Amino acid sequence: MSNLILKAENISKHYRLGVIGSGSFKEDIQNFWKNTFSAGGNKTTNIEPKANDLWALKDIDFEIMKGDVVGFVGKNGAGKSTLLKVLSRITLPTTGTIRGKGRIASLLEVGTGFHAELTGRENIFLNGQILGMQKREIISKFDEIVAFSGIERFLDTPVKRYSSGMYVRLAFAIAAHLDPEILIVDEVLAVGDAEFQKKCLGKMKQVSAEEGKTVLFVSHNSQALKNLCTKAIYLEKGRLIDIGNTQDVITNYLKREQTLYLHRIYTDPDTAPGNDSIRIKRVEMHPQYLGGSNVIDIRTPLVIEFEFWYLPAEEMDLGVSITLNTVMGECIFDVDSAARQYKKGLIKGQCTIPGDFLNNGSYSINLVFVKNTSSALFEFEECLSFDVEDFRENTAWYGDWPGAVRPKFKVQLQQEEI
Amino acid sequence: MNINEKEDIAADWQWEINATQSWFKLGLRDLYAYRGLIMRFVRRDLIASYQQTIIGPVWMFLQPLLTTLIYLIVFGTFAKVSTDGVPKILFYLSGTIIWTFFFDNISGTMYTFISNAHIFNKVYFPRLIVPVSNIITQSVRLSIQLLLFVIIFLFYHIVYDKFQLSYTVILIPFLILLTAAFALGSGLLISVFTARYRDVDTFFQYILRLGMFVTPVVFPSSIVPEKYQFLFWLNPLTPIIETFRAIFFNQGAIQYNYLLLAIFNTTVLLILGLILFKRRETEVMDII
Repeated sequence: MSNLILKAENISKHYRLGVIGSGSFKEDIQNFWKNTFSAGGNKTTNIEPKANDLWALKDIDFEIMKGDVVGFVGKNGAGKSTLLKVLSRITLPTTGTIRGKGRIASLLEVGTGFHAELTGRENIFLNGQILGMQKREIISKFDEIVAFSGIERFLDTPVKRYSSGMYVRLAFAIAAHLDPEILIVDEVLAVGDAEFQKKCLGKMKQVSAEEGKTVLFVSHNSQALKNLCTKAIYLEKGRLIDIGNTQDVITNYLKREQTLYLHRIYTDPDTAPGNDSIRIKRVEMHPQYLGGSNVIDIRTPLVIEFEFWYLPAEEMDLGVSITLNTVMGECIFDVDSAARQYKKGLIKGQCTIPGDFLNNGSYSINLVFVKNTSSALFEFEECLSFDVEDFRENTAWYGDWPGAVRPKFKVQLQQEEI
Repeated sequence: MNINEKEDIAADWQWEINATQSWFKLGLRDLYAYRGLIMRFVRRDLIASYQQTIIGPVWMFLQPLLTTLIYLIVFGTFAKVSTDGVPKILFYLSGTIIWTFFFDNISGTMYTFISNAHIFNKVYFPRLIVPVSNIITQSVRLSIQLLLFVIIFLFYHIVYDKFQLSYTVILIPFLILLTAAFALGSGLLISVFTARYRDVDTFFQYILRLGMFVTPVVFPSSIVPEKYQFLFWLNPLTPIIETFRAIFFNQGAIQYNYLLLAIFNTTVLLILGLILFKRRETEVMDII
């Protein structure tokens, strides 16, 4: 007996973009005729590439073993959701075949089919059955579902009177009690409060580890993927880039997708950014990668080095300040050098952002050259940009870590009395 | 892995998703497998439709009665349209009950994709169970409304000593089935197109409105001019309603030839609808 539970071969999905309307009516009739009445076979041979064509998925092959927890990673639009939709039979692949064993349930959204007018009790049955549970199965798990959701008191209230939190809790509680051989989950980690997320992730881990269920899931949370998945699949522009061990695939993904501008080097002072007083020679960041990785995470110390030609027209005190901004434009810090006089020529500067200081996120750095501590000579905006990835160990909590920064100050506890 | 093992695995697969869906697969077996969900949808629709109403399910009685009252005033009193000597209440009630059953079934079915897009986009189940559950819901309503009809009928029968009930009353369930099949078949066909072009939706709303006037709902088919009679009876609803009235009101003979024609037309329509729907149910989701 093989442990192979799902096998996808040569999966492609083609979409025709553009406006659907009278302009495409003739084409529609032709396509409709072709698609509806062509005798089986491979339809794609007839599809000619056009400007407004999109291959959401192209030639995807993979195999999944029983008990695997597979994470799908990739940027928005990489085809992750399309792939889950194809696997869930919501949309048909344009080419290819997927074969599998056992019951498959998909959870692309929590609370699919909830009816606002019906009570929580009715909706447990409705949603459960839509997701593929049998009535007797729901009856036997009913108390567990209610306990998991924590909405006992509102069981006979129409769900339209629920708070959004209660709604999600109930919906997830039902989903968590699904019992298929293969479970497909899309981005559910994004909903619910911290405590509930933890509960859900715990449940997912339990389902795969103890009950040997196969889980396929998409998340943008690389930390959660790392902790839950045994295997990962990396998609980019509809193509499968990498498949294998989660750690390797995610590292590969982060490396390829990180928006890095770590080096700015200019050889000609005349065209380099700057003005009459300042010309930039180079601005660089050297991350001090840890443990052979080459991804910047929250532990990585970052060394910033810069050189500039200093061409003052008059005597002045010069200072340089480095500001770090989030992608939303909030300033995290602004540090500056002591202001003093320098001679005309090349000046070098350096600054180190220690590890275990920044929170995860996307950042950019501005260099500001200041005259006499009061006016800006030149601002080199967003000269460097980089992403800091999350890193956690020994935790079951994968929600967003709050805070502008994330220093590792010691917090000490000590038993005072017994 | 040797070849033998590979063959073993190939035989193990329990399901397969392909680029093309095969013809001649109506998905009727799925209906049985998903009967639990069908009944759940029926329950949902019945409960939900009378939430936050004061008189709740009493509306099931009130709706046909109010419609009948309107017809009674407009067509019976103002326009003085003949009812072939049948008491006006019973005449209009019989017409409106069957027409409404047809109308609710077809309009529920033709918007299958549009009104369920949010669910169809997230979960797979055979799409056919949605229109089928709608038909069952409407059948529940119809049964209650027929009960109302029977009560009024018995009133006339006992108090005025009118109408004889004959053995042909056993045809009634069959007439209901035929109406449902006609609505389902045409609704399924239309649903595939309404998903694609919203124009189709507007167009069919007019067709349906017109439909009520080429069906003997508010007038008997006897007032239709001779040269249009055949066309008029080609509409499957005409023999259905006329047979219904013939059974209860002892009006002339049942037109079995037209009834057979209606069965034939409806069967063809239903099979076409089922095939097209099954064939297109997944592809439609890419364009909705």
